[in-house]
Amino acid sequence: MNPYSAAIAWQSRAILGRHLRVHLRNWYTVTLPPVCEPLIMLLAFGVGLGRQIGTLDWEGLSLDYLHYLAPGMLAYTAFMSSFFQSLFAAYIRMHFQKSWEGQLTTQVRLEHVVWGEALWAATLATAYAVLVCVVLAGFGLANMLTLHWVWMPVAIPLLFLAALAFSAVGLYFTAILPSIDHMTLPFFLVIMPIGFASSTYFPIPDIPFLSTAVQFNPLHQLAEGLRALLLMGKVTGHLVSAAGLCGLLLVALIPLDMRLLRKRVFGDR
Amino acid sequence: MNDGSISPDDPVLLAATGLIKSLGGNRVVDGIDLTCRSGEVLGLLGPNGAGKTTTLRMCYGFLRPDAGQIRIAGYDLGRDGDRARRALGVCTQDNTYDGDFTVRGNLVQTGRYYRPRQADLLQRIDALIERFGLAPFANQKPETLSGGFKRRLMIARAVVHQPRVVFLDEPTTGLDPQARVAVWELIHGLRAEGLAVVLTTHYMDEAARLSDRLQVLQAGRVRAAGVPGAVLGDVVGEHVVLLGLQGPQTPQVIGWFKHRGVKPAQVLSHWHIPLDAPGLAAFVAAFPDLEYEVRPPTLDDLFLALAHETT
Repeated sequence: MNPYSAAIAWQSRAILGRHLRVHLRNWYTVTLPPVCEPLIMLLAFGVGLGRQIGTLDWEGLSLDYLHYLAPGMLAYTAFMSSFFQSLFAAYIRMHFQKSWEGQLTTQVRLEHVVWGEALWAATLATAYAVLVCVVLAGFGLANMLTLHWVWMPVAIPLLFLAALAFSAVGLYFTAILPSIDHMTLPFFLVIMPIGFASSTYFPIPDIPFLSTAVQFNPLHQLAEGLRALLLMGKVTGHLVSAAGLCGLLLVALIPLDMRLLRKRVFGDR
Repeated sequence: MNDGSISPDDPVLLAATGLIKSLGGNRVVDGIDLTCRSGEVLGLLGPNGAGKTTTLRMCYGFLRPDAGQIRIAGYDLGRDGDRARRALGVCTQDNTYDGDFTVRGNLVQTGRYYRPRQADLLQRIDALIERFGLAPFANQKPETLSGGFKRRLMIARAVVHQPRVVFLDEPTTGLDPQARVAVWELIHGLRAEGLAVVLTTHYMDEAARLSDRLQVLQAGRVRAAGVPGAVLGDVVGEHVVLLGLQGPQTPQVIGWFKHRGVKPAQVLSHWHIPLDAPGLAAFVAAFPDLEYEVRPPTLDDLFLALAHETT
């Protein structure tokens, strides 16, 4: 089976629908964190810490920290939520709940389970990012934040694509980690370095090696691209780079994920 | 054992030929053929590591065979996988229901994993819940059920889409006798509906009661196949001599058997010695004054014989 065409198969949608149904049953509890977290972060860091920081120079603009933070938070939400779902939640479903095995005894195949997990992680992360947009809009209504709101709909598909790529990274670790006790490793070795070297919460310092390295970080490209889009109303090369890097991640990692997960789930090549 | 009313005219719903599979560098299945007809129960027997679960997993598409062909209801599992999978149902050895859904929710969700969708799915689910005695628990999570009802749910999931072949991997392991009998009745019901049922089990009484035919696996190969009585005769022989372990002549008798190539198996306080009719006659003649018991072989003797051959 072609590893990419399985993305649009009905079986992948059936898996996505299963996750959606389970999630929506507890919508009131699962919606609270993605609403509260950006609210707290924007108040604590954007407003509170922002007063201590004063203004930042970014691309020739003088910004207060709240304005710098807002687009970065959108990118970070897509990244973090997707990674968390495809790593922790998928691992629990695969290893402890054995729900993958139950699905794989039907017309659903491993390729569909992988795509179903990836699509679900991306859908949830995008939904959380939309909730961040709603919180940002609240700050806008309170005259605390001025963004190019008209560009917000353009950001959503990009966030989905990025979340899909990050979910492929998460599934890679789901496939190779020997036990749930090892989950801290990707967090320290992958999530934190990608997250910190990404211009989401603070500008990258002007260090030659670092400035070059972050060009290959899709989260950095996404954060900078969204910042240009929402603060200046400009579509920059950062967005194109983000889309390209995410596309490359998907092309490279999805077949690898399938191969590794096949070995893991079936004990087979 | 059932009445053996399977006719050669009944359609073959499972036809697997020349199955070979290696896992971790070891050949686990080495040239196994299986067939199962509509309305037939095929029992797969064998000691641990014989290749039963791997064979079953290949037949329901969980593992890809290294060689061989599997046809489910006429569809080639390798080439026409979607149709073949639509025609089969699986009850795995572990309980792999979806713990995030209720009993009814599990059946509804499982129905969503099949296309074309089962017509009147919700009515079918209601009927299954009634028939499998799950009505009092329909809106409960599966983890609240007893072991027997969990297995009922697993079997109900396996047939929710009205398959033509159903694979039951140790469906009664760990159940109390009452729950086992209840599952047996369900399996009888599936056979009566015309399903081809393939089951693995470690319970010899279960295999004898439920199976129309047995296929005994050993080290990845078919060791014996046929109706239960014939399989016993092929592997074990016609008689089993039970000889007390502590008898004064016992060491001499065992030595006599071993010298003649017979392999006695020690079970608790007795030696179990499988013999054919001439072997029994020779034994009686050689030890006319010995005290012992002779009985027909059971499937337990079959397992002992296979385990003894393996070691």
